[in-house]
Amino acid sequence: MHEAKNSLGVIFFPAFDWSISPTHPEREERLLYTQDQLKEEGLFDIEGVDEHKPGVATREDIERVHFCYPEVEAVATRSHLVAAGGTITAADLVMSGRHKKAFALVRPPGHHAMKVVHGSRGFCNINIEAVMIEHLREKHGKRRIAVVDTDCHHGDGTQDIYWHDPDVLFISLHQDGRTLYPGSGFPQECGGPKALGRTINIPLPPGTSDEGYMMVMERVVLPLLQDFKPEVVINSAGQDNHFTDPITNMNLTAQGYARLTELLQADIAVLEGGYAIQGALPYVNLGICLSMAGLDYSGVREPGFDAVKHSQRPQIAEYLAKLCDALPELYFNPPRLEQMASGGKIEGDWFVRHKDIYYDTDGISEAQTEELLLCDSCRGLLKIVSRTTKNPACLGVEIPLDACPACREKGLALYEESQAKDGYRYCQLINRVDRQYLRHGF
Amino acid sequence: MYLGIDVGGTHTDAVALDESGIAAQVKVKTNHKDLLASVNQALEGILATIPAGDVSQLNLSTTLSTNAIVQGTLEDVGMLVVPGPGISADDFMLCRDYHVLKGSIDHRGSEIERLDPTEAQRAIDSCRERGVRVFGCVGKFSTRNPLHENTLRQMLGPAEEEGAAAVTLGHELGGRLNFPRRLATAYFNCAVWRVFGTFADAVEKSLERLGLGHVRVNTLKADGGTFPLNQARKMPVQSIFSGPAASVMGIIALCDINHDSIILDIGGTTTDIAVFVDGQPLVEHDGIHIGSHPTLVRALKVHSIGIGGDSAISVLGEAVRVGPNRLGPSQADCVEPGCACAEGARPTLIDALNCTGAASHGNVEASRQAVAAFARCHAISPEVLAQRAAEAAAEAIFKATRELLDEINDKPVYTIHELLEGRRVVPKRVYLMGGPAQAMREAVHQRFELFTVVPEHYGVANAIGAALTRNTASLELFADTEKGMMFIPALRHRENVPRNYSLKDAERDALNHLLAHLSEMGVFADRDNAQVNDASSFNMVSDGVTTGRNIRVKCQIKPGVAFALAGSGR
Repeated sequence: MHEAKNSLGVIFFPAFDWSISPTHPEREERLLYTQDQLKEEGLFDIEGVDEHKPGVATREDIERVHFCYPEVEAVATRSHLVAAGGTITAADLVMSGRHKKAFALVRPPGHHAMKVVHGSRGFCNINIEAVMIEHLREKHGKRRIAVVDTDCHHGDGTQDIYWHDPDVLFISLHQDGRTLYPGSGFPQECGGPKALGRTINIPLPPGTSDEGYMMVMERVVLPLLQDFKPEVVINSAGQDNHFTDPITNMNLTAQGYARLTELLQADIAVLEGGYAIQGALPYVNLGICLSMAGLDYSGVREPGFDAVKHSQRPQIAEYLAKLCDALPELYFNPPRLEQMASGGKIEGDWFVRHKDIYYDTDGISEAQTEELLLCDSCRGLLKIVSRTTKNPACLGVEIPLDACPACREKGLALYEESQAKDGYRYCQLINRVDRQYLRHGF
Repeated sequence: MYLGIDVGGTHTDAVALDESGIAAQVKVKTNHKDLLASVNQALEGILATIPAGDVSQLNLSTTLSTNAIVQGTLEDVGMLVVPGPGISADDFMLCRDYHVLKGSIDHRGSEIERLDPTEAQRAIDSCRERGVRVFGCVGKFSTRNPLHENTLRQMLGPAEEEGAAAVTLGHELGGRLNFPRRLATAYFNCAVWRVFGTFADAVEKSLERLGLGHVRVNTLKADGGTFPLNQARKMPVQSIFSGPAASVMGIIALCDINHDSIILDIGGTTTDIAVFVDGQPLVEHDGIHIGSHPTLVRALKVHSIGIGGDSAISVLGEAVRVGPNRLGPSQADCVEPGCACAEGARPTLIDALNCTGAASHGNVEASRQAVAAFARCHAISPEVLAQRAAEAAAEAIFKATRELLDEINDKPVYTIHELLEGRRVVPKRVYLMGGPAQAMREAVHQRFELFTVVPEHYGVANAIGAALTRNTASLELFADTEKGMMFIPALRHRENVPRNYSLKDAERDALNHLLAHLSEMGVFADRDNAQVNDASSFNMVSDGVTTGRNIRVKCQIKPGVAFALAGSGR
């Protein structure tokens, strides 16, 4: 019989009683066939592969990461708390040594959820990877973390949350934003002034196949990870690069996914998107599980696979080769702030950028001003003012992990002041130094 | 009058009983070389006091199939395996004549790749050349579409000694998804088919000879139910490991259980721990392991640990431990009255209980001597040693019980409702049975801090359970209204259904088919005992349009006893 080379914990939670709407891609049926496939293959009978029940994230787990307006309960349903709880369980399983690796096979996804949350964007409300990362930092003392987002859509939420964090390397592989939602994720988006080169975007042309993905993994992702030396590697394992996905245009196969997983050797994988629920997910998830567990995945093959049809055009390989030459430069020699097209400028002691964000799932428009205090002794105090079609002016103040006393003082004063001035409908404080999460205006 | 025989590892217990109580009971040593002789001996013992004409039913729990597997006296099986893509089927090679064939069915039951008839025929011919007469045909997702298994069945030809004496099709084993388990279960079913059939013939002959030819004969299963002997001939694999279930069902007959409870069956070598939820025994989520092979054989959830009356006592530093080694019978059992213990004789749990006064089993004086001598070696007083040994046994049982409860409460669930509002199992009572039950009662009570019950007749609870256990059956129904199809694998029943076929229709059909199946086997089953365990319906959506429903229903006749003996007895 089999025995897993890497002990693997799978947190399988298909939320069979939750959907965005009855015919929405994010519906009850989504992981049904994946469950059938994993059960029929007898995956959980393999020595070293175990199924686990997810925990439920608490309000504090969410408030450590997000500014939720008007409050956590208003933007996160129970299903979001369970999905986030599933990632926390995954982290705990690996950190406690119970398993070498873990895969949070949970829904709904989270990588489009940004720092500020007013509702649902791209089917995401709560950034479940970010909830896990901050849990890893808070409870397990980890600091340097790499997130490799292999969902076909740009992980703009995770990028936004870690834009100013030099200790998180965020790499996103996705279909070129000129051809797909959310329309972002270009190479010049490479991090805020304190974290330049810590966000790396790899836009892939439509039609990229296994071959192209492997090239990018070997020539960009792996060398960067090797240099960054993260304590934990997380894979946002979206499965919509599959050639059968109904809303994207890529050519990745189940074998390609398994190989990619093997190359990456992530400690924890988290399911993101992927809506070819019959033709792709059952096989891709099986491939990822086997690959993470260090088992033979060569027999995993989806119906409709055709080696010729699913190879890429030679022009794509040429384009990707050029991209692979240029991208590592962004990490090793990031451009100066002035040269960056991604917006933002320095005003006095502050770095200021404006963002317009659209919540496609909930139809909310948001205008945001984000300010980072440029501090020499810490990551810097963060202040975000947000106005939307749903909520009037909201203020968020974050005193980051390991903030210097000056930033801490300033942050507390800012929050205090905002309450007296009465200019904001809602105010929220994330104080990571004192583990203080405050809200007012409710 | 109901007759129950439990052929156990050490003893064969038999009882005859009716509503008014136990009329006769017999205990004989099990003869492992000839189980039939043990059964005959037990039957003859019962018939010494009970007229054959009064007996209406015999329920038999036997280790026959288990022994055949353990001792490796298995028949060669031809396995025809259609795995399709996924984990390689070569890794599950169970026997020499194991043929992996081309063909594949997907999770929806669609045929992705056809069976290659030439290749299949070659495999069958190769098995036949080697003299193989029993076959297992197993495909991945055959519980969704049995096409390939059925085709192979046809190719094997009619059941006859020269061609295929017996064929097990994977989907007949039930609708649950797990291909490796389906393979192993089909294999073992084929491998013990002949030995079980021969035994069944011999038992029927014996019954005829003893004037019991009119008796209904059932075989116990591990899931706390029985099935008719004729059914067992087809599915002998279901009869394995029925011993623990017999004991658990005995407790149901002897006690009125309606809370979350723990059942401890303390034997000579092991203690079996079972859990009741709302008065119902808990069934194992997946199925039991045979050797290292997980199977689809349903069983009551019973956890065994190596603590029993004959478990040796050891002292390590300050700590006194009991088990898991069994060092033969206790001093109380092996020393003749008036004789002295052998030099350096190792006392067991029973000896310790004899010393604390909790028990007075066999030669109590020998127990005292052995415990005193052993205590001297380790420089503790005999009283303390005996007391600590009883406590250590209770502690080990308690720890194992807690682990079992954690496992039960951590069972994965798949809906938000179950996750957030799911009920936790919190036992309120402990029921004890087996030889040392009465003697361990106080120690168990102290450690568990729960109301602790030792029922009357606790020593033959297993045979009582065997006698009174009802028939059970279970099945899974799968319907796909986009394909317009409903399928009950266990009954090999497929029918077309209309597009508006609903979950409610499916539940009704599942229950009706279950009851009809039982009545075909000549079993009366009360509709009240039939229950739907799981029912779900998913809308299938394609391009934003609902195309049909994917329906799954599981139902069963719940385990139970024909009547309770609570508080009675002669």
